[in-house]
Amino acid sequence: MNIFFQQLLNGLTLGSVYALVALGLTLVYGILHIPNFAHGALYMVGAYAAFYFVGTLGANYWVAMIGAAAVVALLAVLSDRLIFHRLKDAPPLHDMIAAIGLLLFLEACIQATWGAEFHRLAPPYPQIVRVFDLVAPAQRLIIIAAAFGLMLVLHLFLTRTLVGSTIIAMAQNREGASLVGIDATKVSILTFAISGALAAVAATLFSPINLIYPSMGHLVIMKAFVIIILGGMGSIPGAIVGGLVIGFAESFGAFYVSTNYKDIIAFALLVLILSLRPQGLFPSGAR
Amino acid sequence: MLRLEGAQLNYGSFRALDGITIHADPGELVVMLGANGAGKSSLFLAISGLRKLSRGNIWFKDQNIAGRKPSQIVQAGVVHCPEGRKLFPEMSVRKNLLLGAYVHRQDKKETQKILDQVFEMFPILHEKRNDAAGSLSGGQQQMVAIGRALMGRPEVLLLDEPSLGLAPLVVKQVLGVIKTINDNGTTVLLAEQNAYAALQIARRAYVIESGRIVMEGDRETLLNDERVRKAYIGA
Repeated sequence: MNIFFQQLLNGLTLGSVYALVALGLTLVYGILHIPNFAHGALYMVGAYAAFYFVGTLGANYWVAMIGAAAVVALLAVLSDRLIFHRLKDAPPLHDMIAAIGLLLFLEACIQATWGAEFHRLAPPYPQIVRVFDLVAPAQRLIIIAAAFGLMLVLHLFLTRTLVGSTIIAMAQNREGASLVGIDATKVSILTFAISGALAAVAATLFSPINLIYPSMGHLVIMKAFVIIILGGMGSIPGAIVGGLVIGFAESFGAFYVSTNYKDIIAFALLVLILSLRPQGLFPSGAR
Repeated sequence: MLRLEGAQLNYGSFRALDGITIHADPGELVVMLGANGAGKSSLFLAISGLRKLSRGNIWFKDQNIAGRKPSQIVQAGVVHCPEGRKLFPEMSVRKNLLLGAYVHRQDKKETQKILDQVFEMFPILHEKRNDAAGSLSGGQQQMVAIGRALMGRPEVLLLDEPSLGLAPLVVKQVLGVIKTINDNGTTVLLAEQNAYAALQIARRAYVIESGRIVMEGDRETLLNDERVRKAYIGA
Protein backbone atom coordinates (compact mmCIF):
# COMPACT_ATOMS: atom_id res chain seq x y z
CA MET A 1 0.00 0.00 0.00
CA ASN A 2 2.81 2.34 0.97
CA ILE A 3 4.70 1.62 -2.25
CA PHE A 4 1.55 2.12 -4.30
CA PHE A 5 0.96 5.45 -2.58
CA GLN A 6 4.57 6.43 -3.25
CA GLN A 7 4.12 5.75 -6.98
CA LEU A 8 0.84 7.63 -6.94
CA LEU A 9 2.60 10.61 -5.40
CA ASN A 10 5.46 10.39 -7.90
CA GLY A 11 2.99 10.15 -10.75
CA LEU A 12 1.05 13.18 -9.51
CA THR A 13 4.27 15.17 -9.10
CA LEU A 14 5.52 14.36 -12.58
CA GLY A 15 2.07 14.70 -14.11
CA SER A 16 1.38 18.11 -12.62
CA VAL A 17 4.74 19.48 -13.82
CA TYR A 18 4.20 18.01 -17.30
CA ALA A 19 0.67 19.43 -17.34
CA LEU A 20 1.91 22.95 -16.56
CA VAL A 21 4.46 22.80 -19.37
CA ALA A 22 1.94 21.26 -21.77
CA LEU A 23 -0.68 23.90 -20.87
CA GLY A 24 1.62 26.69 -22.04
CA LEU A 25 2.43 24.79 -25.19
CA THR A 26 -1.20 24.03 -25.99
CA LEU A 27 -2.33 27.62 -25.32
CA VAL A 28 0.14 28.97 -27.87
CA TYR A 29 -0.70 26.20 -30.32
CA GLY A 30 -4.47 26.67 -29.89
CA ILE A 31 -4.28 30.37 -30.62
CA LEU A 32 -1.41 30.85 -33.01
CA HIS A 33 -1.02 27.34 -34.43
CA ILE A 34 2.69 27.53 -33.69
CA PRO A 35 4.33 24.29 -32.53
CA ASN A 36 6.71 26.12 -30.21
CA PHE A 37 9.71 23.79 -29.86
CA ALA A 38 11.44 26.60 -27.97
CA HIS A 39 9.01 26.07 -25.08
CA GLY A 40 11.43 23.50 -23.59
CA ALA A 41 14.16 26.15 -23.64
CA LEU A 42 11.83 28.57 -21.83
CA TYR A 43 11.37 25.86 -19.17
CA MET A 44 15.16 25.56 -18.91
CA VAL A 45 15.65 29.36 -18.68
CA GLY A 46 13.00 29.39 -15.93
CA ALA A 47 15.03 26.90 -13.91
CA TYR A 48 18.24 28.92 -14.37
CA ALA A 49 16.45 32.19 -13.51
CA ALA A 50 15.14 30.68 -10.25
CA PHE A 51 18.62 29.24 -9.56
CA TYR A 52 20.13 32.71 -10.08
CA PHE A 53 17.56 34.48 -7.91
CA VAL A 54 17.98 31.99 -5.04
CA GLY A 55 21.68 31.16 -5.39
CA THR A 56 23.20 34.52 -6.35
CA LEU A 57 20.71 37.11 -5.13
CA GLY A 58 19.65 35.11 -2.07
CA ALA A 59 15.95 35.54 -2.82
CA ASN A 60 13.22 33.59 -1.07
CA TYR A 61 12.04 30.52 -3.09
CA TRP A 62 8.59 31.96 -3.83
CA VAL A 63 9.99 35.37 -4.77
CA ALA A 64 12.44 33.56 -7.07
CA MET A 65 9.50 31.74 -8.65
CA ILE A 66 7.69 35.01 -9.36
CA GLY A 67 10.92 36.54 -10.67
CA ALA A 68 11.57 33.56 -12.94
CA ALA A 69 7.96 33.69 -14.20
CA ALA A 70 8.36 37.40 -15.02
CA VAL A 71 11.71 36.89 -16.80
CA VAL A 72 10.47 33.96 -18.89
CA ALA A 73 7.14 35.66 -19.64
CA LEU A 74 9.10 38.62 -21.01
CA LEU A 75 11.37 36.31 -22.99
CA ALA A 76 8.35 34.50 -24.44
CA VAL A 77 6.73 37.81 -25.44
CA LEU A 78 9.97 38.94 -27.08
CA SER A 79 10.17 35.65 -29.00
CA ASP A 80 6.65 36.31 -30.28
CA ARG A 81 7.22 39.94 -31.27
CA LEU A 82 10.70 39.49 -32.72
CA ILE A 83 10.28 36.09 -34.38
CA PHE A 84 6.87 34.44 -34.62
CA HIS A 85 4.84 37.58 -35.30
CA ARG A 86 7.11 38.43 -38.22
CA LEU A 87 6.53 34.97 -39.67
CA LYS A 88 2.74 35.08 -39.46
CA ASP A 89 2.29 35.03 -43.24
CA ALA A 90 5.12 32.57 -43.86
CA PRO A 91 4.61 28.80 -44.42
CA PRO A 92 4.24 26.81 -41.11
CA LEU A 93 7.62 25.17 -41.64
CA HIS A 94 9.30 28.56 -41.06
CA ASP A 95 7.75 28.80 -37.56
CA MET A 96 9.09 25.35 -36.69
CA ILE A 97 12.59 26.13 -37.96
CA ALA A 98 12.56 29.45 -36.10
CA ALA A 99 11.42 27.73 -32.89
CA ILE A 100 14.24 25.18 -33.13
CA GLY A 101 16.67 28.02 -33.83
CA LEU A 102 15.46 29.86 -30.73
CA LEU A 103 15.81 26.70 -28.65
CA LEU A 104 19.45 26.29 -29.74
CA PHE A 105 20.15 30.00 -29.24
CA LEU A 106 18.81 30.05 -25.68
CA GLU A 107 20.70 26.88 -24.80
CA ALA A 108 23.93 28.34 -26.17
CA CYS A 109 23.41 31.56 -24.19
CA ILE A 110 22.82 29.64 -20.95
CA GLN A 111 25.78 27.36 -21.57
CA ALA A 112 28.03 30.37 -22.26
CA THR A 113 26.95 31.95 -18.96
CA TRP A 114 26.68 29.00 -16.56
CA GLY A 115 28.62 26.28 -18.36
CA ALA A 116 27.44 22.78 -19.25
CA GLU A 117 27.71 21.32 -15.75
CA PHE A 118 24.79 20.30 -13.57
CA HIS A 119 23.37 22.61 -10.89
CA ARG A 120 20.88 22.02 -8.16
CA LEU A 121 18.39 24.38 -6.56
CA ALA A 122 18.57 23.86 -2.81
CA PRO A 123 15.24 22.34 -1.66
CA PRO A 124 13.40 25.10 0.21
CA TYR A 125 11.33 22.55 2.12
CA PRO A 126 13.51 19.47 2.79
CA GLN A 127 11.13 18.11 5.44
CA ILE A 128 9.34 14.79 5.22
CA VAL A 129 5.61 14.77 5.90
CA ARG A 130 4.15 11.72 7.65
CA VAL A 131 0.45 10.96 7.59
CA PHE A 132 -0.45 7.67 9.36
CA ASP A 133 1.79 5.10 7.70
CA LEU A 134 2.49 7.18 4.65
CA VAL A 135 5.60 9.27 4.03
CA ALA A 136 5.91 12.10 1.51
CA PRO A 137 8.63 14.70 0.85
CA ALA A 138 7.19 18.19 1.45
CA GLN A 139 8.55 19.50 -1.88
CA ARG A 140 6.51 16.93 -3.82
CA LEU A 141 3.34 17.94 -2.01
CA ILE A 142 4.14 21.60 -2.74
CA ILE A 143 4.63 20.81 -6.44
CA ILE A 144 1.24 19.10 -6.60
CA ALA A 145 -0.61 21.78 -4.62
CA ALA A 146 0.99 24.71 -6.47
CA ALA A 147 0.53 23.15 -9.91
CA PHE A 148 -3.13 22.30 -9.35
CA GLY A 149 -3.70 25.70 -7.69
CA LEU A 150 -2.24 27.41 -10.74
CA MET A 151 -4.33 25.29 -13.11
CA LEU A 152 -7.46 26.29 -11.18
CA VAL A 153 -6.49 29.98 -11.34
CA LEU A 154 -5.83 29.64 -15.08
CA HIS A 155 -9.17 27.91 -15.59
CA LEU A 156 -11.03 30.65 -13.69
CA PHE A 157 -9.13 33.34 -15.60
CA LEU A 158 -9.97 31.80 -18.98
CA THR A 159 -13.62 31.05 -18.27
CA ARG A 160 -14.72 33.80 -15.86
CA THR A 161 -12.94 36.93 -17.05
CA LEU A 162 -13.44 38.96 -20.20
CA VAL A 163 -9.70 39.04 -20.93
CA GLY A 164 -9.57 35.25 -20.55
CA SER A 165 -12.56 34.92 -22.88
CA THR A 166 -10.66 36.82 -25.58
CA ILE A 167 -7.98 34.09 -25.52
CA ILE A 168 -10.59 31.34 -25.81
CA ALA A 169 -12.44 33.29 -28.53
CA MET A 170 -9.21 33.68 -30.50
CA ALA A 171 -8.54 29.94 -30.15
CA GLN A 172 -12.04 29.01 -31.31
CA ASN A 173 -12.20 31.40 -34.24
CA ARG A 174 -9.41 33.83 -35.00
CA GLU A 175 -11.26 35.84 -37.67
CA GLY A 176 -14.44 35.89 -35.60
CA ALA A 177 -12.46 37.31 -32.68
CA SER A 178 -10.93 40.04 -34.84
CA LEU A 179 -14.37 40.93 -36.20
CA VAL A 180 -15.75 41.67 -32.72
CA GLY A 181 -12.80 43.98 -32.09
CA ILE A 182 -10.50 41.69 -30.11
CA ASP A 183 -6.94 42.81 -30.77
CA ALA A 184 -5.04 39.77 -32.03
CA THR A 185 -1.70 41.33 -31.11
CA LYS A 186 -2.67 41.87 -27.47
CA VAL A 187 -4.06 38.33 -27.19
CA SER A 188 -0.91 36.93 -28.73
CA ILE A 189 1.33 38.85 -26.28
CA LEU A 190 -0.81 37.76 -23.33
CA THR A 191 -0.81 34.13 -24.45
CA PHE A 192 2.97 34.00 -24.86
CA ALA A 193 3.41 35.68 -21.47
CA ILE A 194 1.15 33.13 -19.74
CA SER A 195 2.82 30.28 -21.57
CA GLY A 196 6.29 31.46 -20.52
CA ALA A 197 5.23 32.05 -16.92
CA LEU A 198 3.73 28.54 -16.70
CA ALA A 199 6.97 27.00 -18.00
CA ALA A 200 9.02 28.97 -15.46
CA VAL A 201 6.77 28.04 -12.55
CA ALA A 202 6.90 24.36 -13.59
CA ALA A 203 10.70 24.54 -13.75
CA THR A 204 11.02 26.29 -10.37
CA LEU A 205 8.71 23.76 -8.74
CA PHE A 206 10.56 20.77 -10.20
CA SER A 207 14.16 22.02 -9.86
CA PRO A 208 14.62 21.26 -6.13
CA ILE A 209 14.10 17.54 -6.84
CA ASN A 210 15.83 17.51 -10.20
CA LEU A 211 19.04 18.77 -11.82
CA ILE A 212 19.48 21.99 -13.76
CA TYR A 213 21.49 21.83 -17.01
CA PRO A 214 21.29 23.47 -20.45
CA SER A 215 19.58 20.59 -22.28
CA MET A 216 17.10 19.83 -19.46
CA GLY A 217 14.22 21.08 -21.64
CA HIS A 218 14.65 18.50 -24.43
CA LEU A 219 12.89 15.55 -22.84
CA VAL A 220 10.30 17.79 -21.17
CA ILE A 221 9.29 19.42 -24.46
CA MET A 222 9.13 16.06 -26.24
CA LYS A 223 6.83 14.77 -23.52
CA ALA A 224 4.79 17.98 -23.57
CA PHE A 225 4.24 17.44 -27.29
CA VAL A 226 3.20 13.85 -26.62
CA ILE A 227 0.76 15.17 -23.99
CA ILE A 228 -0.87 17.77 -26.22
CA ILE A 229 -1.13 15.31 -29.09
CA LEU A 230 -2.72 12.78 -26.71
CA GLY A 231 -5.02 15.39 -25.20
CA GLY A 232 -5.95 16.97 -28.52
CA MET A 233 -3.94 19.88 -29.94
CA GLY A 234 -5.10 23.14 -28.39
CA SER A 235 -7.25 21.49 -25.71
CA ILE A 236 -6.75 22.77 -22.15
CA PRO A 237 -8.42 19.86 -20.30
CA GLY A 238 -6.56 17.58 -22.70
CA ALA A 239 -3.22 19.01 -21.56
CA ILE A 240 -4.06 18.43 -17.89
CA VAL A 241 -5.43 14.91 -18.34
CA GLY A 242 -2.64 14.06 -20.80
CA GLY A 243 -0.02 15.31 -18.34
CA LEU A 244 -1.42 13.15 -15.57
CA VAL A 245 -1.70 10.10 -17.85
CA ILE A 246 1.98 10.40 -18.80
CA GLY A 247 3.02 11.15 -15.21
CA PHE A 248 1.24 8.08 -13.79
CA ALA A 249 2.36 5.86 -16.67
CA GLU A 250 5.99 6.82 -16.13
CA SER A 251 5.83 6.48 -12.37
CA PHE A 252 4.06 3.11 -12.28
CA GLY A 253 5.92 1.89 -15.38
CA ALA A 254 9.29 2.72 -13.81
CA PHE A 255 8.39 0.75 -10.68
CA TYR A 256 6.46 -2.21 -12.05
CA VAL A 257 8.36 -2.61 -15.35
CA SER A 258 11.81 -1.00 -15.20
CA THR A 259 13.26 2.48 -14.67
CA ASN A 260 15.24 1.92 -17.89
CA TYR A 261 12.00 2.15 -19.86
CA LYS A 262 10.62 5.17 -17.98
CA ASP A 263 11.12 7.64 -20.83
CA ILE A 264 9.99 5.21 -23.53
CA ILE A 265 6.59 4.76 -21.86
CA ALA A 266 5.31 8.20 -22.90
CA PHE A 267 6.11 7.57 -26.55
CA ALA A 268 4.74 3.99 -26.46
CA LEU A 269 1.52 5.38 -24.99
CA LEU A 270 1.38 7.98 -27.75
CA VAL A 271 1.53 5.29 -30.43
CA LEU A 272 -1.03 3.13 -28.61
CA ILE A 273 -3.61 5.86 -27.92
CA LEU A 274 -3.30 7.45 -31.34
CA SER A 275 -3.80 4.04 -32.98
CA LEU A 276 -7.10 3.70 -31.11
CA ARG A 277 -8.11 7.37 -31.08
CA PRO A 278 -6.23 9.39 -33.73
CA GLN A 279 -8.00 12.66 -32.83
CA GLY A 280 -6.64 12.59 -29.25
CA LEU A 281 -8.61 12.45 -26.01
CA PHE A 282 -10.24 15.92 -26.25
CA PRO A 283 -10.23 16.75 -29.94
CA SER A 284 -12.55 19.73 -30.08
CA GLY A 285 -10.03 22.47 -29.39
CA ALA A 286 -9.32 24.92 -26.59
CA ARG A 287 -11.96 25.63 -23.98
CA MET B 1 -21.22 57.40 -44.74
CA LEU B 2 -19.03 54.71 -46.34
CA ARG B 3 -17.13 55.24 -49.59
CA LEU B 4 -14.56 53.09 -51.34
CA GLU B 5 -12.37 54.69 -53.97
CA GLY B 6 -10.35 52.59 -56.41
CA ALA B 7 -10.04 49.70 -53.97
CA GLN B 8 -7.57 47.10 -55.16
CA LEU B 9 -6.83 43.86 -53.32
CA ASN B 10 -4.39 41.17 -54.40
CA TYR B 11 -3.95 37.60 -53.18
CA GLY B 12 -0.46 36.95 -54.51
CA SER B 13 -0.73 37.39 -58.26
CA PHE B 14 -4.54 37.11 -58.21
CA ARG B 15 -6.38 40.42 -58.18
CA ALA B 16 -9.55 39.94 -56.11
CA LEU B 17 -10.65 43.59 -56.22
CA ASP B 18 -9.77 45.71 -59.22
CA GLY B 19 -10.44 49.38 -58.63
CA ILE B 20 -13.78 49.17 -56.82
CA THR B 21 -15.56 52.48 -56.21
CA ILE B 22 -18.84 52.30 -54.28
CA HIS B 23 -20.66 54.23 -51.60
CA ALA B 24 -23.45 53.81 -49.07
CA ASP B 25 -25.30 56.87 -47.75
CA PRO B 26 -26.50 57.13 -44.15
CA GLY B 27 -29.49 54.86 -43.53
CA GLU B 28 -29.22 53.12 -46.91
CA LEU B 29 -29.49 49.41 -47.54
CA VAL B 30 -27.21 48.63 -50.47
CA VAL B 31 -26.91 45.19 -52.01
CA MET B 32 -23.78 43.75 -53.61
CA LEU B 33 -24.80 41.17 -56.20
CA GLY B 34 -22.35 38.73 -57.67
CA ALA B 35 -21.57 35.09 -58.26
CA ASN B 36 -19.27 32.99 -56.08
CA GLY B 37 -15.73 34.32 -56.31
CA ALA B 38 -16.79 37.64 -57.82
CA GLY B 39 -15.15 39.56 -54.98
CA LYS B 40 -18.03 40.31 -52.57
CA SER B 41 -16.41 38.67 -49.55
CA SER B 42 -13.00 40.14 -50.39
CA LEU B 43 -14.61 43.56 -50.49
CA PHE B 44 -16.08 43.10 -47.00
CA LEU B 45 -12.83 41.64 -45.64
CA ALA B 46 -11.01 44.72 -46.94
CA ILE B 47 -13.53 47.13 -45.39
CA SER B 48 -13.33 45.41 -41.99
CA GLY B 49 -9.51 45.41 -42.06
CA LEU B 50 -8.97 41.66 -42.25
CA ARG B 51 -7.28 42.10 -45.64
CA LYS B 52 -5.12 45.05 -46.58
CA LEU B 53 -5.80 46.95 -49.79
CA SER B 54 -2.84 47.27 -52.10
CA ARG B 55 -4.31 50.48 -53.48
CA GLY B 56 -7.29 52.76 -52.86
CA ASN B 57 -9.09 54.34 -49.93
CA ILE B 58 -11.97 53.46 -47.64
CA TRP B 59 -13.70 56.52 -46.24
CA PHE B 60 -15.99 56.22 -43.26
CA LYS B 61 -17.45 59.51 -42.01
CA ASP B 62 -14.57 61.50 -43.55
CA GLN B 63 -11.85 59.27 -42.06
CA ASN B 64 -9.74 57.01 -44.21
CA ILE B 65 -9.97 53.62 -42.44
CA ALA B 66 -7.93 51.69 -45.03
CA GLY B 67 -4.95 50.07 -43.27
CA ARG B 68 -6.46 50.29 -39.80
CA LYS B 69 -6.64 47.22 -37.56
CA PRO B 70 -9.97 45.31 -37.46
CA SER B 71 -10.41 46.25 -33.79
CA GLN B 72 -10.09 49.96 -34.66
CA ILE B 73 -12.61 49.63 -37.48
CA VAL B 74 -15.15 47.95 -35.18
CA GLN B 75 -14.49 50.68 -32.62
CA ALA B 76 -15.17 53.30 -35.32
CA GLY B 77 -18.62 51.76 -36.00
CA VAL B 78 -18.21 49.42 -39.00
CA VAL B 79 -19.14 45.86 -38.02
CA HIS B 80 -18.82 42.84 -40.31
CA CYS B 81 -21.06 39.78 -40.03
CA PRO B 82 -19.04 37.37 -42.18
CA GLU B 83 -19.92 34.53 -44.51
CA GLY B 84 -19.70 31.27 -42.54
CA ARG B 85 -20.66 33.18 -39.35
CA LYS B 86 -17.28 32.73 -37.59
CA LEU B 87 -18.90 32.10 -34.21
CA PHE B 88 -17.13 30.77 -31.11
CA PRO B 89 -18.68 27.30 -31.33
CA GLU B 90 -17.95 26.03 -27.83
CA MET B 91 -19.06 29.20 -26.07
CA SER B 92 -22.67 29.75 -25.09
CA VAL B 93 -24.97 31.87 -27.23
CA ARG B 94 -24.99 34.53 -24.50
CA LYS B 95 -21.20 34.68 -24.33
CA ASN B 96 -20.96 34.92 -28.12
CA LEU B 97 -23.35 37.87 -28.04
CA LEU B 98 -21.56 39.57 -25.14
CA LEU B 99 -18.21 39.26 -26.91
CA GLY B 100 -19.85 41.13 -29.80
CA ALA B 101 -19.89 44.14 -27.47
CA TYR B 102 -16.20 43.72 -26.61
CA VAL B 103 -15.20 47.20 -27.83
CA HIS B 104 -17.93 48.71 -25.62
CA ARG B 105 -17.01 46.61 -22.57
CA GLN B 106 -16.95 49.63 -20.24
CA ASP B 107 -20.61 50.44 -20.92
CA LYS B 108 -22.31 47.43 -19.34
CA LYS B 109 -25.71 49.07 -19.01
CA GLU B 110 -26.08 49.80 -22.73
CA THR B 111 -24.68 46.36 -23.58
CA GLN B 112 -27.39 44.72 -21.45
CA LYS B 113 -30.02 46.87 -23.18
CA ILE B 114 -28.86 45.81 -26.65
CA LEU B 115 -28.64 42.18 -25.51
CA ASP B 116 -32.29 42.38 -24.45
CA GLN B 117 -33.18 43.89 -27.85
CA VAL B 118 -31.35 41.06 -29.65
CA PHE B 119 -33.24 38.48 -27.58
CA GLU B 120 -36.47 40.31 -28.42
CA MET B 121 -35.58 40.22 -32.11
CA PHE B 122 -34.64 36.51 -31.94
CA PRO B 123 -36.67 34.88 -29.10
CA ILE B 124 -35.17 31.47 -29.90
CA LEU B 125 -31.74 32.79 -28.90
CA HIS B 126 -33.06 33.73 -25.47
CA GLU B 127 -34.39 30.20 -25.11
CA LYS B 128 -31.02 28.75 -26.13
CA ARG B 129 -28.82 31.38 -24.48
CA ASN B 130 -26.91 28.81 -22.42
CA ASP B 131 -26.42 26.33 -25.27
CA ALA B 132 -23.11 26.12 -27.13
CA ALA B 133 -23.38 28.20 -30.31
CA GLY B 134 -21.96 25.31 -32.33
CA SER B 135 -24.86 23.06 -31.31
CA LEU B 136 -27.50 25.32 -32.93
CA SER B 137 -29.08 24.86 -36.37
CA GLY B 138 -27.70 26.85 -39.32
CA GLY B 139 -30.50 29.40 -39.17
CA GLN B 140 -30.09 29.90 -35.43
CA GLN B 141 -26.33 30.28 -35.83
CA GLN B 142 -26.99 32.97 -38.44
CA MET B 143 -29.19 34.74 -35.91
CA VAL B 144 -26.34 34.58 -33.35
CA ALA B 145 -23.96 36.02 -35.96
CA ILE B 146 -26.32 38.91 -36.77
CA GLY B 147 -27.05 39.43 -33.06
CA ARG B 148 -23.34 39.46 -32.26
CA ALA B 149 -22.75 42.07 -34.96
CA LEU B 150 -25.57 44.22 -33.55
CA MET B 151 -23.97 44.04 -30.10
CA GLY B 152 -21.04 45.98 -31.62
CA ARG B 153 -23.45 48.94 -32.12
CA PRO B 154 -22.77 49.30 -35.84
CA GLU B 155 -23.36 52.48 -37.78
CA VAL B 156 -22.54 50.48 -40.89
CA LEU B 157 -23.32 46.77 -40.89
CA LEU B 158 -21.65 44.53 -43.48
CA LEU B 159 -23.68 41.35 -43.98
CA ASP B 160 -22.01 38.69 -46.12
CA GLU B 161 -24.36 36.05 -47.53
CA PRO B 162 -26.62 35.80 -44.48
CA SER B 163 -29.05 33.52 -46.32
CA LEU B 164 -26.45 31.01 -47.50
CA GLY B 165 -27.50 27.43 -46.76
CA LEU B 166 -30.73 28.38 -44.97
CA ALA B 167 -34.23 27.03 -45.57
CA PRO B 168 -36.49 29.42 -47.56
CA LEU B 169 -38.65 30.18 -44.53
CA VAL B 170 -35.59 31.08 -42.44
CA VAL B 171 -34.23 33.21 -45.30
CA LYS B 172 -37.45 35.21 -45.25
CA GLN B 173 -37.16 35.67 -41.48
CA VAL B 174 -33.50 36.72 -41.66
CA LEU B 175 -34.13 39.22 -44.47
CA GLY B 176 -37.08 40.60 -42.48
CA VAL B 177 -34.77 41.21 -39.53
CA ILE B 178 -32.21 42.90 -41.80
CA LYS B 179 -34.94 45.22 -43.08
CA THR B 180 -35.90 46.05 -39.47
CA ILE B 181 -32.27 46.79 -38.57
CA ASN B 182 -32.06 49.13 -41.54
CA ASP B 183 -35.40 50.76 -40.72
CA ASN B 184 -33.98 51.49 -37.25
CA GLY B 185 -31.30 53.65 -38.87
CA THR B 186 -28.31 51.34 -39.41
CA THR B 187 -26.66 51.59 -42.82
CA VAL B 188 -26.45 48.09 -44.30
CA LEU B 189 -24.21 46.72 -47.01
CA LEU B 190 -25.59 43.29 -47.94
CA ALA B 191 -23.77 40.76 -50.13
CA GLU B 192 -26.19 38.22 -51.56
CA GLN B 193 -26.47 35.62 -54.28
CA ASN B 194 -30.20 35.44 -53.65
CA ALA B 195 -30.70 38.56 -55.76
CA TYR B 196 -34.47 38.59 -55.99
CA ALA B 197 -34.96 38.36 -52.22
CA ALA B 198 -32.22 40.92 -51.51
CA LEU B 199 -33.59 43.43 -54.00
CA GLN B 200 -36.98 43.27 -52.29
CA ILE B 201 -35.52 45.01 -49.24
CA ALA B 202 -32.83 47.19 -50.89
CA ARG B 203 -33.06 50.56 -52.53
CA ARG B 204 -29.88 50.34 -54.56
CA ALA B 205 -27.45 47.67 -55.68
CA TYR B 206 -24.09 47.09 -57.33
CA VAL B 207 -23.24 44.10 -59.50
CA ILE B 208 -19.70 42.84 -59.04
CA GLU B 209 -17.92 40.51 -61.46
CA SER B 210 -14.26 39.44 -61.36
CA GLY B 211 -13.46 42.12 -58.78
CA ARG B 212 -14.99 44.96 -60.78
CA ILE B 213 -18.28 46.85 -60.51
CA VAL B 214 -20.07 46.15 -63.79
CA MET B 215 -23.44 47.69 -63.01
CA GLU B 216 -25.06 50.01 -60.51
CA GLY B 217 -28.64 51.09 -60.13
CA ASP B 218 -31.78 51.29 -58.06
CA ARG B 219 -33.96 48.27 -57.37
CA GLU B 220 -36.33 48.74 -60.32
CA THR B 221 -33.53 49.27 -62.83
CA LEU B 222 -31.75 46.09 -61.78
CA LEU B 223 -34.91 43.98 -61.49
CA ASN B 224 -35.82 44.99 -65.04
CA ASP B 225 -32.36 44.50 -66.49
CA GLU B 226 -32.17 41.50 -68.79
CA ARG B 227 -28.60 40.57 -67.83
CA VAL B 228 -29.30 40.73 -64.10
CA ARG B 229 -32.49 38.73 -64.48
CA LYS B 230 -30.68 36.03 -66.44
CA ALA B 231 -27.55 35.85 -64.32
CA TYR B 232 -28.87 36.34 -60.79
CA ILE B 233 -32.64 35.89 -60.74
CA GLY B 234 -32.96 33.04 -63.21
CA ALA B 235 -35.88 34.51 -65.09
